[in-house]
Amino acid sequence: MFKVIVKLAWSNAFLRFSRTFLLVILIALSMALMLSLQGIYDGMTLNMVDKTIRSDCGEVSIYQKGYRLNQVLSNNIKNADAILRKLDHDPNVKLAIKRFSVEGLSSTARKQSFANIIGIDLKQEERFGKFSLFLTKGKLSFENYGAIIGKGLADKLKVHIGSKVIFSTQNAKGEINALYLKVAGIIQTTNINIDNFAIYVPIKRVYDFLGVPHDEATQIAIRTDNEAFIKTLKKEYSNLDVESLLDLYPMLKQMEDIMAIFNSITFAIVMLVVFIGILGVMYVSILDRIREFGILRAIGMPYAYIRLQIFLEALFVGLIGYICGAILGYLSLKYLHIYGLDLSAYSAGLEKFGYSSIIYANIQASYFSSTFYAIISASLLSVLLPLRKIKNLNPIKVIKANT
Amino acid sequence: MFALALKNILFYKGRSITSFVLIFFSALLFIVYVSMMDGSHNSMLRNALNVYTGAIEIYKKGYRDIGGNQYLITNVSTIEQKLQNIKGIKNFTSRYETYGLLSFKDFSSAAMVAGIDPKREEHMSELKTALIKGKYLDQNSQNCLYAGSELVKKLHINIGDKVAFIGEASDYSFAADMLKLCGIFRTGSFEFDSMASFVSRPYFDNLMYSQNKASYISIDVNNLKEVDRIKNEIAAKMPPDLETLSWKTLMEPMVQAMEVDSVFGYISLGLFFIVIFFVVMIFGFINISSRVNEFGILRCIGLSKTDMFLLLFYEILILSTLSILFATPIGAYIAYYFSLHPITIAGISETYKQYGIVSDQIPFDFNLFTISWNVAVIYILSFLSILYPILYINKFTPTEAIRHV
Repeated sequence: MFKVIVKLAWSNAFLRFSRTFLLVILIALSMALMLSLQGIYDGMTLNMVDKTIRSDCGEVSIYQKGYRLNQVLSNNIKNADAILRKLDHDPNVKLAIKRFSVEGLSSTARKQSFANIIGIDLKQEERFGKFSLFLTKGKLSFENYGAIIGKGLADKLKVHIGSKVIFSTQNAKGEINALYLKVAGIIQTTNINIDNFAIYVPIKRVYDFLGVPHDEATQIAIRTDNEAFIKTLKKEYSNLDVESLLDLYPMLKQMEDIMAIFNSITFAIVMLVVFIGILGVMYVSILDRIREFGILRAIGMPYAYIRLQIFLEALFVGLIGYICGAILGYLSLKYLHIYGLDLSAYSAGLEKFGYSSIIYANIQASYFSSTFYAIISASLLSVLLPLRKIKNLNPIKVIKANT
Repeated sequence: MFALALKNILFYKGRSITSFVLIFFSALLFIVYVSMMDGSHNSMLRNALNVYTGAIEIYKKGYRDIGGNQYLITNVSTIEQKLQNIKGIKNFTSRYETYGLLSFKDFSSAAMVAGIDPKREEHMSELKTALIKGKYLDQNSQNCLYAGSELVKKLHINIGDKVAFIGEASDYSFAADMLKLCGIFRTGSFEFDSMASFVSRPYFDNLMYSQNKASYISIDVNNLKEVDRIKNEIAAKMPPDLETLSWKTLMEPMVQAMEVDSVFGYISLGLFFIVIFFVVMIFGFINISSRVNEFGILRCIGLSKTDMFLLLFYEILILSTLSILFATPIGAYIAYYFSLHPITIAGISETYKQYGIVSDQIPFDFNLFTISWNVAVIYILSFLSILYPILYINKFTPTEAIRHV
């Protein structure tokens, strides 16, 4: 009997082909569009998070207590090398690096701007966050007084590869000191603090320029896969300021939350409307065949079989719509994941807010699973109302009414 | 036809109510969403312009792209005289900006130090109203420094403290002096508050050797919508070595950011509309496909295809008009209410400040023209939704339609 019911349901699902076809298009199109939009929005945020981790703080960063509020030379980690040696032996740590930064004035012959000089080890930075991927012009080299400069700062100072820049600030003795630099490379991380203010030079040069001991650091950045590791670090280095990515960049968390809320609202509205669409088609489809159901009831077919048949009809339509939508959505997401959405025409605007001008979509299995549950639920729920009508119908009256 | 359409609407209640609700919801969502989007953009713009940037600014060509003291405006008084005769200009002032190093004890920071005319600046920007401690500048302020709250924090200074300033004068000589902190301001823009400081122009001109010189001239206008007209008028009267730029160029990143935001906003709305109008179309189609016999009879008694089209057109016209009549006043009221009482997103202000957005309030934009085109779009979409049903019904000959099961 079950086989017959399945066959009946399948045939009836396509009895009015145009309606079913329209419904399948509705489900497929709305699902594909929704998935693409969700992937793009998530991609925007995740891209920011990824670049912030790679260009700056890793998953966890350590500072001297109070440094983030009062960034003065005396406020730095005194025994950074010892901490790094210890972290190197910790299995939770993929890599830990140190940086030394100080704020000052960067000047060319014609322009000046506020800047932040950051002493780094290029090889370590490459391992830490694939630093070379940020390079947009020139090369990653500190040879011949070379420095690597953020794109925003380069634009402000109107400097190019080979341009000379003087960076001045106060050294550890309180004297104004200047550092001669030659732009070797220009990077763009989309982390606005780096793009607009950073000048990277060898860390040894910064130590010598500022007159601070070589085992100090303003930041120790750590890459780790263990989210719980920060708790251990906080306990171990209670005299220091141990911060996670989201502590350091709360706006990333806010953006993630806003995107999640926005995606949920979009999802809910779209699914509600899709539900109304399925309901309309299923309701009319059942009303059209109300005499047929009356006859089935009159010849003794149990209500449970009719219910099963109608549920299966809705399920078939929903499933076909979902499969088409999933294929269309996946193809669209895959395209956006590989080629991205090119918004270069708005690059200045996007960079102002820390976004890349090409946005690559994120693809997650959860997009498809949540949509699956929503569409199947919507399909099944949509037949509850027509089912009530069938349950309450008087077979004789229905047969008579339609003859 | 119109009467028949009305009867059909009343007879097929399910389809009518669903279409009404969906079109109503679309119109309401569209009006409110666009009003919020435009309002937040206008607010961002107004706030940014109020802080410091002028609606129009005049530069010597090359100052923005190359920079350097040879690109300073050197005949400020002549230009200012010309500006006085241009209609639509509210206020204007010249500014001399330089970057220098400010130091206090063991603390130092790079900062923008600008020489301003304190009196004129009062009417140009929010610098005076942003005062939080000490006093604002006046013409006789001498070496008084008026600095941003974040800059003051970095230098660890307080009112009355003396700070060393080192910079470059307009003749490329070394300029240095002791400046006394007289006032602290907070605009809310983190970047501006952490890098900007001001001194009175007469004193600064002596220090920088910049009499009758300016980095640029900033202009405020009575009506922002007239900015292009005024800009063109100014440009026509200026010497060819000067360039006149409006806020659209001066704040290009912000303009682009707003455009991107709008693009994504419209993409999201587009998704809703596609889904909603697909459903309206499906309901229309279901309704028509179950009325094929009826259409066959109508054709048989002499009604033409055009009459069929008119019938369906009137049906959707009545439904969409009804929905819009309900949605528009509600949407307009929401837009109007929130234009007067902006929504405040609590807790996001600190994040916003990092991007130079000084307010966490989102006022809506109440604009009748915008509401009108929103409504027009909904009408067009409603009419588009009956195209497929019309094509479907026109496939049948009258005889086929009557026999249709």
